[in-house]
Parts: sequence; structure tokens; C-alpha cells
Amino acid sequence: MHTTSISKAGGRIRKGPFAELLNELNRNQSSFAQAEHDGSIAFGPSMRIERFVFGNGLRVLVLEDHIAPVISLQTWFGVGSRHEKDGKTGIAHLFEHLMFGETETTAHGAFDRMLEEAGAETNAATYLDWTYYQMNLPKEALELAMKLEANRMATLVLREPQVASEKEVVANERRQRVDDDVDGAVSEMLYKEAFLEHGYRHPTIGWMEDILGFTTEDCVQFYKTYYSPNNATMVVVGDVEIGQVLRLVQETYGHMAPAVIPVEDVHPEPPQTEERRFTTKKPTPTHKVTLGYKSPALGDFDHAPLVILNEILFGGRSSRVHRELVQKREIASEVRGYVGSFRDPGLYDIYLSAREGHTGAELLEVLDGLLGQVCAEPITEKELDKAKGRIEFGLLQGLETANGKADQIGFYQTVLGDPGAIFDRIGVYQRVTPSDLLRVARRYLVRSARTVIEVFPDGSAIEEEDAADEMEDGEEEEVAS
Amino acid sequence: MGVVVEPSPALPLVSVVVAFRSGAAHDPVGLEGLGRLTGRMLRRGAEGWSSEAIEETIDFLGGEFAADVSVSATVVHFEVIKRSLEPFLQLVSAVLCQPVFDAAELDRLKREVVAEIIESRDSDGLLCGRAFRRSVFAGHPYGRRVSGQISTLTTISRDDVVKFYKTHYTRANAHVIVSGDVDVEEGQSIAARLLEGLPAGERIDDPVAEPKPVAGRKLVFVDKPERSQVQMAIGGIGTHPADEDHIALLVANTAFGGTFTSRLMQEIRAKRGLSYGTSSRLGVDRRRESFMMHAAPKASDAPLCMQLMLDQLHEVRENGITADELAFVKKYLIRSHAFEVDTARKRAHRKLEAALFDLPEGYYETQNARIEAVTLEEANAALRKRLSEDDMVIAVVGTHAEYGKLIEEAIPRLGSVEVVPFDSE
Repeated sequence: MHTTSISKAGGRIRKGPFAELLNELNRNQSSFAQAEHDGSIAFGPSMRIERFVFGNGLRVLVLEDHIAPVISLQTWFGVGSRHEKDGKTGIAHLFEHLMFGETETTAHGAFDRMLEEAGAETNAATYLDWTYYQMNLPKEALELAMKLEANRMATLVLREPQVASEKEVVANERRQRVDDDVDGAVSEMLYKEAFLEHGYRHPTIGWMEDILGFTTEDCVQFYKTYYSPNNATMVVVGDVEIGQVLRLVQETYGHMAPAVIPVEDVHPEPPQTEERRFTTKKPTPTHKVTLGYKSPALGDFDHAPLVILNEILFGGRSSRVHRELVQKREIASEVRGYVGSFRDPGLYDIYLSAREGHTGAELLEVLDGLLGQVCAEPITEKELDKAKGRIEFGLLQGLETANGKADQIGFYQTVLGDPGAIFDRIGVYQRVTPSDLLRVARRYLVRSARTVIEVFPDGSAIEEEDAADEMEDGEEEEVAS
Repeated sequence: MGVVVEPSPALPLVSVVVAFRSGAAHDPVGLEGLGRLTGRMLRRGAEGWSSEAIEETIDFLGGEFAADVSVSATVVHFEVIKRSLEPFLQLVSAVLCQPVFDAAELDRLKREVVAEIIESRDSDGLLCGRAFRRSVFAGHPYGRRVSGQISTLTTISRDDVVKFYKTHYTRANAHVIVSGDVDVEEGQSIAARLLEGLPAGERIDDPVAEPKPVAGRKLVFVDKPERSQVQMAIGGIGTHPADEDHIALLVANTAFGGTFTSRLMQEIRAKRGLSYGTSSRLGVDRRRESFMMHAAPKASDAPLCMQLMLDQLHEVRENGITADELAFVKKYLIRSHAFEVDTARKRAHRKLEAALFDLPEGYYETQNARIEAVTLEEANAALRKRLSEDDMVIAVVGTHAEYGKLIEEAIPRLGSVEVVPFDSE
């Protein structure tokens, strides 16, 4: 809705887009419930995100997408494992679990039951910089979902025995994802050794002793500190009207007061000047090696070129590392690289798994040669174009559903403050040149700024010659999701 | 089904699936893994295209290509940014219709698959799933590992691959779906162009008989050192969509273990924190598939969790789900249907699944009405008839020396016990 009328509401002169709607909405509302239009941001060639801010600090981003009668409702909080202290790691993640519990007006378990009855799917995730909650809704369920989401932001009840039970659930999640998983355990070790000061050294799921040591009071304090409207961004994508969303937000969140969000006691990571090397033994049939190079923050000018360089090295079967280690030399069974997308400088982590009879040291030697090449010689235009094509394709695939769009909007708003940044990045990727790649290769693929962990089999696996005879049939299906 | 086109201009992407009604179940005995090797060989050389050129072109054009082989089907699919559709189609036509099956590439692929099989032993979930299916479907094609075994892979020759391809990759054996940024006419034209490169061939019969139920309670213990947890899968044979009580069982199972607030979740996770995840699920294929419930408790809690899961199964068979649970689950299934059809790709894949698995006419179109019509008596009768407490497989991955005995003791009326090292699976 666009209007040129000028009117007075809530003591302010308001004009421009949504003036009429906002004037009507804000009439006789408290200051916390007053909504203001904060920007109209392009989301690709044909869509726009409308951003509003309420008086209590809650940001609301709406993208109307009427292609299917469904809605994605997400709430992102600016708190993650980076905000945790030693001895209290994992509380952001534990809290994510607790948010599905009892409130002053709903019994334990009622939150999920009511939403499932409405046909909704719910989930949540915690990482280094953020925590977010998602609901995928049939369009009829928006009002119920908004009420429940607001309710748990303001009136969560934290008490035993639910806190104790949820700690056990998280401890089991940790056993599954980390303690009994070579990949998870090694990744955790890599971040712990690569970061000595910054909160990124904390495992998001938390150390086991910390998880089991949390008290109900710890949880209450965490809730009071970080779960408030001014530390949250709501993203609504799908078959909605903007006025309908704003009215519901006003009704459900308009009474909430903002909290004082503490200034983050952030400790920037000092420059790494020496390579750090570690070894570990695991009950695994093959050797592995994982590396972490210090990498730029998501908002850094160098981030996009490094993502493209990673694509050239590890993206798909035609990438340099896959071709050399898996196909040509046949010494690895799996290779992958990932440039961390974090608010502060993070890690460019690389994982290589050796084939039987080969070692991590062998893999590392070949990898070092390949990394040396990209530091010595410019990437060809053809390889660069190929990487750009793969990245653009991947980004588009992620936008197929309302939930996929909301993920991108919420993530970029929370980390960079720009909900449409995904499309800006497509443009940035297109402008990357071979010179940019040479620059980031030489700047970041520095041996003295990397951490290396080699994983050795602990010898518990029997020799393959015998194993082959004993192998039996079976379907490739994991039992746990 | 033939050809289905599901247009959607939402994104500039075009997705195409060419699915064949043949999969690992068609592997000759002793050549297990042949169907999957054949699918994976497509991108490793075609007339006028080297393996390297294929990989370069797929990435350069901004697309993806995959051939997924399951027990009963081979699904070749690709997706590409619309502006690159024409050159991508040229590539895919060659890859799908004129593969060369280079012998050296085949040898390289076989070594790659062997390495993947060894690597997969790091995943306890995968090990548990394999042990479960191998025992539930013992001696039956559904119990096969789609990727084959190390011993069978080494015996597969180029001639075997060529023969499999010529027999199964035919027009008569194919279904095509096109979805995304195309109109119906354009989609039909894409399908016709891909199909015309394939020989007419014959529709291949499904060689699979109905699986026989497991006899007695059988424990398969996959022994892996240093486990802090135990992965467990419990169950047996389930139903086929043509069974008259299939929908009733689907509804009852959803109440039992199919949602985040189901009985299993309440008893195992919410009340006791015994496992991060737990659920029960029903598989679908051309014959009766499996019913399986799973959990992953702390190792020392495994006996308790095992007892609890067996008790829950007994309780639900004995006393059934309640009227409230039935009403809840009907609402959940019918209202969440919106997420099964919210994209063109999903709508198209439902049609493909119905055709590939010989689902009854109108299976998906009438599903909501049939869910709504299920009575409490029908739901509970289906539980009693289809799920067995006496004949079941219990697959476990854990450290046997520490918890083997305790877990055995937690299973009443246990018939047989098999202990296998984790790297023999």
C-alpha cells in the first residue's frame, strides 16, 4: 500500500509507504506497540521485503509470496554460543530446547501439540552467532502460531523436572552428534584449538560437564538477558497480507517491554603466528585430517572471493581437490571445504578422509601442493565462471520454499543487518576476478595461521581382507534423523 | 504415468526426472551393486563427451545431475538454471542415451565405491539401519545393500553394466517428470527429446515376491568399540498401500511415533530424556515394506529404553490409540498436507512415486478423505494385525562387551542373538 497522505498518529508525522495503514494501526496504542516502516528491500528481481520496527524494538520483516497457501514464521535472536562463558557452554542451545516447554498459559507439551494439530511443522537451531525458531504453517494457522510464539518469548516457565529432562536430551544429542561421531568430534576439536580467545572456541552444543551442570537459575537468567523483543527479528514469508501480520504482531507482542541487552564481552582472536598440529585416535577404519585456516567475517570484502576459491578447490567432482585426491590419485574417499559465514572472522575448514592404506599426512602433502598452486598462479577465467555458476545455482535452489526464503532473510538480517543480502552477494560473486582469488589465497591460505588435526584409527577395526568375506547385505538407510 | 509436466515460474530453474522401474532388486545374485554402478557410470563418459568434460559442463552451466538407485527404481534427475537449459539438455541427452561405459572408468568407480563402503562404517545410524534391514528382509531383495558388497562389486564386468543398461533404460520402463520454469508444451517437448534417444524396450517386471515375516524375536548386535550410546531399531514387516488397512495403520502409526508429540516422543524423550530422537515409521515400496521404531539412548540407559519401547509397542497393540489421539492425528495429517504440495517439484514427485510404486489409483488424491474416514476400531485393528510383538528384529549398534548381556536381558522371549563386528557390515 502506498500513499502520499500525511497524518498524525502516536505523536509523529508519518508519510510515505504504509502511512495510512500505520496511522490506523498505531492509533491509541502504547509506545511499545507503535509500528514504523523501516525500509523496503529488494529480494531478487521481483519481490520486496518490507521491514517494520515496533516501539519495543521488535523487527518484523514481511515478504508476501502467494504461490502456495503456506507461511514460514521465523524468530531470530541475536544470541549464540559466542556469547557464552567458560563453564557455561551450551546454554544457548539448551535454551533453544527449553523454549518448547511450559508457559504461564500453556502446559508442558501443549506448544507442539497445538501447532501439530494445526498442521504446522516446528524446528529450531542454534549456532555461533544466533538462535532461531521456525514454524511452517498452513495459512490458517498464523494467528495461533503468532500467539504461541509471543507467549513463549514473554512467559516461559522454567522449572524442574523439565529442565533436568531436557539436559538429558541434549546430553544424548551430544553423544550422537559429537562423542560417537568422528566428524563431529574432530570439528569440535578444530574450533577449540584454532580459537584461543574468541567465543567461537565454544562448541555450540556445549561441553558435556557444562550441559549436565546447568541449574534452573542459569536458564532463568539467560532467558531474562537475551529473550526480549529488542533482541529479536521476526520473519514472515508466504501467503499473508502485511496489514494482517502487523495487526497480529501488535496484538501479541505490543505489550512487551524491551530489555537491556548487555554489551557483549567480546574477545577478538589474536593473530595466529604458528601452525598448530594435533593428533587423535578414534575407532574408525580410515585416517582423516582436518584443517582450519583463519578466514574473514561474512561482511568482509574478502569473504565472497574466498567462497569462490573454495568452490574451485572443493565444489563438485570437477573441483581441483576432488579430481586430484579422489579421482586421479585415488587416495581419498571424501574431501570437503567450508568457509565459515560468521559475524566475526572464523575458519575456512577443510576435511579429508583417506582411503584404506593411506594416511592423513599423504593427503595433506598433496593438498598443500594444490593450495600452493592457487597461491602461485591465477585461476583461469573458465574455472572462475564454473564456480560462479555452481554458487548461483545453489543459492536459487535454496529459495524454492517459503521456509527457504525466510532462512536467508533471517540469517542475513541477523548477521549483517541486511535481509536482502543474498541477492547482493550473487552480484558480488559475479564481479570477483582472478586477481581477487589470488589475493585471498595468499592472504588466508597461510600455513602459520592454520590448525591441523590428524585422526588415526585406534586399531579396533579388523583388517579389510577378513571383513570382505563377512559382509552382508543391507539397505543404505540411517535409523536416526 | 508416462510424462508429467508441473509448471511453476517461481524461480528460474528447470527440474527433470527420468525414472526407470528397475533398481537393486534387479541385480542378479552375485552381482549386487550392478544397478547402482550402472546409474553412476552415466556421467563417466558418453558419445562425444569424456568424463572430465561432462563434469566441467555440468558445473559450468550451473546445474546438477544425479542418478539415484534404490531397491525398486533408478531415478535420473537434473536441474539447471533456465538460461542454460538448451546446452544442458544436449549434455543430458548424451549422458542418458549414449553412455560409453569406459572400462577404466568402471574400474575407478568400483574402487571409489569400495572406499565409500568402508568410510560409511563411521556412521552408527547407517550401521544400525543396515543390520535391521538385512535381518528383517533376510534372503529377500529388500534386504540387499543397494551399493552392493565389496566381494560382489569386484566381480561386476563392463558387459554386466552394458547389459543392465540395455535392458532397463528403455522408454517402456521410464517415467518422466518436468517441473519448474517451463510451460506444459515446453515440458512435453523436453520429455520427448530425452525419451526419443532411448530404445523402445519392454516394461520390466518386478521380480520381488512378498517378504515373509521374521520368525521369533531376533537380536542383531553390531559391536563397535567406545560407544557412549546405543543405536536401536526395532520392527518387522509393515504394509503396502494396496492393503485395505494401510491408511488405518498410517494414521495409527502417526499417533504412535510419527510426530514430535507422538507417544514414543512423550515417553522416551519428553518424560525421561532417554534419547534425542525417537520415532516409528512405515516404508513404502511395490511390496510390503518395513515398520521400524528407533531410539539412541546413553549406553547405560539402553536396557531401560529397550524395555520401554517394547512396552509401548505392547501397550498400543493391546489397548490401541485413543479417540483423542485419532482426532488429533487426522487434523495433523490433513492440515499438514499443504507442505506436500507447496512446490511444483513436490507435486510432480508425488505423481512419480505413485507410478513407480504401483500405488492404487488416486492414492494421493483421495488420501485426505480416506484419513478422515478411518475409525478408531479400524486404526487399532490395523495395529494388532500388522505389527507383531512375537516376530521382530531388534538391531543394535553399541559396545557389546559392556552392554550386550544387559540388552539381551531386557528383551523377553528373545529367540536368537547374532553379534557382528561393525566393520563386517
